[in-house]
Amino acid sequence: MSKAFVSSFRSSLLCAAVALAFLVLIGRLVQLHVTGRSELLAYVEKSRKMVQMVEARRGNIVDRQGNILATTHTTMNLGVDPQSVRETDFPKLPALAELIGQPLKDVQTAFERKSRTAVEGRAVRLIRWATLAKGLSEDAYEAVMALGIQGVYGNRNFARTYPGGRLAAHVLGYVNAEETPVSGIERSFDYYLRGQDGWRETERDGRRREVARFREREVAPTNGLNVELSIDQMVQHIVEREIDRLVAEYHPDSVSILVSEPSSGHLLAMANYPTFDLNEYFDISKHPLANQRNRALTDILEPGSTFKIVPAAATLNEGIAQSGDIFQTGLAKVEYKGRALSLPKDHGNGYDQLTLHGIVMKSSNRGAAQLGMLLGEDRLRSYASAFGFGEKTGIDLSGEVPGILHPVKNWDGLTITRMPMGHAVSATPMQIHNAMAVVANGGVLMKPQLVRRVFDPSGEEIVNFMPKARRRVVSSEVARELSQMLVDVVSPEGTARRAQIEHFQIAGKTGTTQKIVDGRYSHKQHVASFSGFFPAGKPELVITVIVDHPKFDGLGYGGAISGPAFRNIARACINHLGIRPYREDARSLAMRLSYDEFSGRFAD
Amino acid sequence: MIRALIPISAFRRIPSAGVFLIFAVLCLTFTGLVVLFSVSQEQADPGALLRKQIIWLAIALFAGGITSCINLQALRPFIPALGLFAAFLLVLVLVPGIGVRVNGAQRWIDLGPMRLQASEIGKLGLLFVLAHYLAANRRYLDEFIRGFAIPCGLLAVYCGLIFIEPDYGTCFLCGAVGGCLLFLAGVRLKFLIPVALLALTFFSIAVYMDPVRMRRITSFLDVQGNREDSAYQLWQGILAFGAGGLHGVGLGEGRQKLSFLPEAHTDFIFAIIGEEGGFFFSSGVVLLFVTIFFIGVLQLKRAPDLYQYLLVMGALLFITFQALINIGVVTGCLPTKGMSLPFISYGGSNLVLMFCLTGIILNGFRSWELPLLRRQREL
Repeated sequence: MSKAFVSSFRSSLLCAAVALAFLVLIGRLVQLHVTGRSELLAYVEKSRKMVQMVEARRGNIVDRQGNILATTHTTMNLGVDPQSVRETDFPKLPALAELIGQPLKDVQTAFERKSRTAVEGRAVRLIRWATLAKGLSEDAYEAVMALGIQGVYGNRNFARTYPGGRLAAHVLGYVNAEETPVSGIERSFDYYLRGQDGWRETERDGRRREVARFREREVAPTNGLNVELSIDQMVQHIVEREIDRLVAEYHPDSVSILVSEPSSGHLLAMANYPTFDLNEYFDISKHPLANQRNRALTDILEPGSTFKIVPAAATLNEGIAQSGDIFQTGLAKVEYKGRALSLPKDHGNGYDQLTLHGIVMKSSNRGAAQLGMLLGEDRLRSYASAFGFGEKTGIDLSGEVPGILHPVKNWDGLTITRMPMGHAVSATPMQIHNAMAVVANGGVLMKPQLVRRVFDPSGEEIVNFMPKARRRVVSSEVARELSQMLVDVVSPEGTARRAQIEHFQIAGKTGTTQKIVDGRYSHKQHVASFSGFFPAGKPELVITVIVDHPKFDGLGYGGAISGPAFRNIARACINHLGIRPYREDARSLAMRLSYDEFSGRFAD
Repeated sequence: MIRALIPISAFRRIPSAGVFLIFAVLCLTFTGLVVLFSVSQEQADPGALLRKQIIWLAIALFAGGITSCINLQALRPFIPALGLFAAFLLVLVLVPGIGVRVNGAQRWIDLGPMRLQASEIGKLGLLFVLAHYLAANRRYLDEFIRGFAIPCGLLAVYCGLIFIEPDYGTCFLCGAVGGCLLFLAGVRLKFLIPVALLALTFFSIAVYMDPVRMRRITSFLDVQGNREDSAYQLWQGILAFGAGGLHGVGLGEGRQKLSFLPEAHTDFIFAIIGEEGGFFFSSGVVLLFVTIFFIGVLQLKRAPDLYQYLLVMGALLFITFQALINIGVVTGCLPTKGMSLPFISYGGSNLVLMFCLTGIILNGFRSWELPLLRRQREL
């Protein structure tokens, strides 16, 4: 420095210090911008990048008429942030309470309670969200927003609802709060219903809001497909109403009723008691978990007399006997393979002689046992198996059990006499129903189906579930002959008098099974069943009614309890579906008198 | 009396060093406007901040023009009055009702349409008072009373008034600049160093006692650990530099201003420069400040007396220290301290002060005699 008034040492020192400080800053900039960049970028990416899921809308489940049975709609969950409310908004609270249908007091509490003590003695925590209402409709939400109360806002979410509530609960199943399909069609057709969620790869700002202009990729969601059931909402309703009546009158342990088209295997109704409300599946106290079981598929019972169609059809199909052949049904013991086997008893309706026709019509246990012995173990079992016993029916719902049909080597000495009457074999209501459908369908076993087609939101069909025949069990002639016998079951002389309907020929078979209680056949607990179809000459509906342990005093449960239930359902279905009597049937009804003389009971 | 206020000719030739100085300052100012416009894109009215800043810039240019033209020498008799006025404003701002309280600090005087930050006038007052006193008492600087206690006391009055606003950052800045002026003027180190240490100790204790400011220190020491709360802003600022890299993401393309950085347009604007302009721009800004400082220092040898020397040096130091502290804070080298970046940050009072200081520097460049060699050639 040329001037003497400032020490050059001091000014140089200061300049050096400033220069050093600038150098440090430049060095720091190099470090941040260049050398340490990758590490910082990792944090930046993490705090900015965002993948937003765009939820796909789940498809509807509709019945065969297009009525919605399960659907998804958007709802809003409304809440308030008590930290940001203003005193000036408080006069609006009564209007808000009215809109969301909550007591004013609760709403005020939500607005005023600003903190909570998490644990005793711990620091208080501020409340940032107090739920005001759940599941608000979008219209109601708009109305709430129009009030303009600061701090009140909502979150949108999809909610699965079942307009029918209990209707077809076991068929539909439900999707739980975690969006996992739990049961029914919801579960087995989840693949079609679910749809494909879309996503957005985007960036967010410091308040975690999306910055739309930096959106890099957007994949639109593919909404789920709709599933059209073969179920008819009206028929389902008829069936459930009938179940309600049975429950009210007889207080049974459980009831299962199935209605289907024999020619296609499509079910029109499937209902069980006890049941539950699909919209309240989570309320275990109201609807115990056991009620969610689809008993028509998961519970097995001994089919009892309804099983007699198996030995009868087998005998006819094998040409061992004709319908008019006479059997000595008064015998208590019959020699079989060198051993004298005692035959089961016939309760109260013992006959010394019956034709094959009469055995079916009168449901003779001894006669059926003799048919079994004529067939032998192997043929009896293979026919039972052909009718679908001992294997899953292959219906579209999960949880189905195959029932129990033991291989011949496991049979004991008496099985050959007991199985023809439906003991020593266990089946689900669905299997019993399906076996009867074989007779109605001219001897062909169909795969029972609940879904007719899958279509996209625009209505275009994606998959069509055509009827699937599984195998021919008996010839069509045998089926026709057997159905004639079954028509007589539902005649004034048969066991199912109460299932008759004027102008219609009904074919069916009753069953009354003693329940096995503590390893023994109980004389008090029974299962009353009836499985039948109509019009007999050209069957359009198969209906099976299984009532477990009805509180009823008397004999012939199947005819007395399940028969009338069948009739009530059939009548309502005739009206609803417009089923007309088959011409040939009508003629044979007129000829009934002579026909009865021919096939009726022989003199004692 | 009147003659003293007559300015030196506004048309007197500006030396080349002055041209460089003006160029550097305008570069910084222009950068500030561009970045401010980029930042304010995210606001409801994108042009609002820019319009206000341009109005302030006009005022600042006018003020800078005045300070570059007044006769510094003739101003000397009025300096005590000026200093008293500045101190009066610093007291006034503490009076409830006159001073406006923002975020727990009473720093602004409400002038109707705009607010005046009292400490900016205080800085100017401090600068003139110290330069004038030290130059006037140059002969007695070896003494304790006249050479140390009085100038130190003057400094302490201004710093103290700013300190109780409270505005620790500006207090520190004034203390540092004032200390440097005492140091340069030749105050004896055996007085200066202990007092400086004492002042630093006092300052540290004050910070330590203040939970808010102490938190800033602790979060500065552990940025990673506190990056979600107390060091959030600092951490987001640091991330901005990483995001910018060498070339930057491009003007207007920065993301840190999207609610990540709360003070993107004021104290942390340098981070946005780093993000959008990259290393080239951020280091460019630093180099412009280096240029301003060293152009000034190189010209200082032409200063005719200690008064003008200290005046120009003090102005340079105010600009330079403020830039150093701001950039140091934003890059995470110093604890968080609300201090704007000269010429660039949004904010009126500071911009006006910075242009006043620039005007003082330019004033010196213009009125000082040119080097002998050059004059010979002109002859």
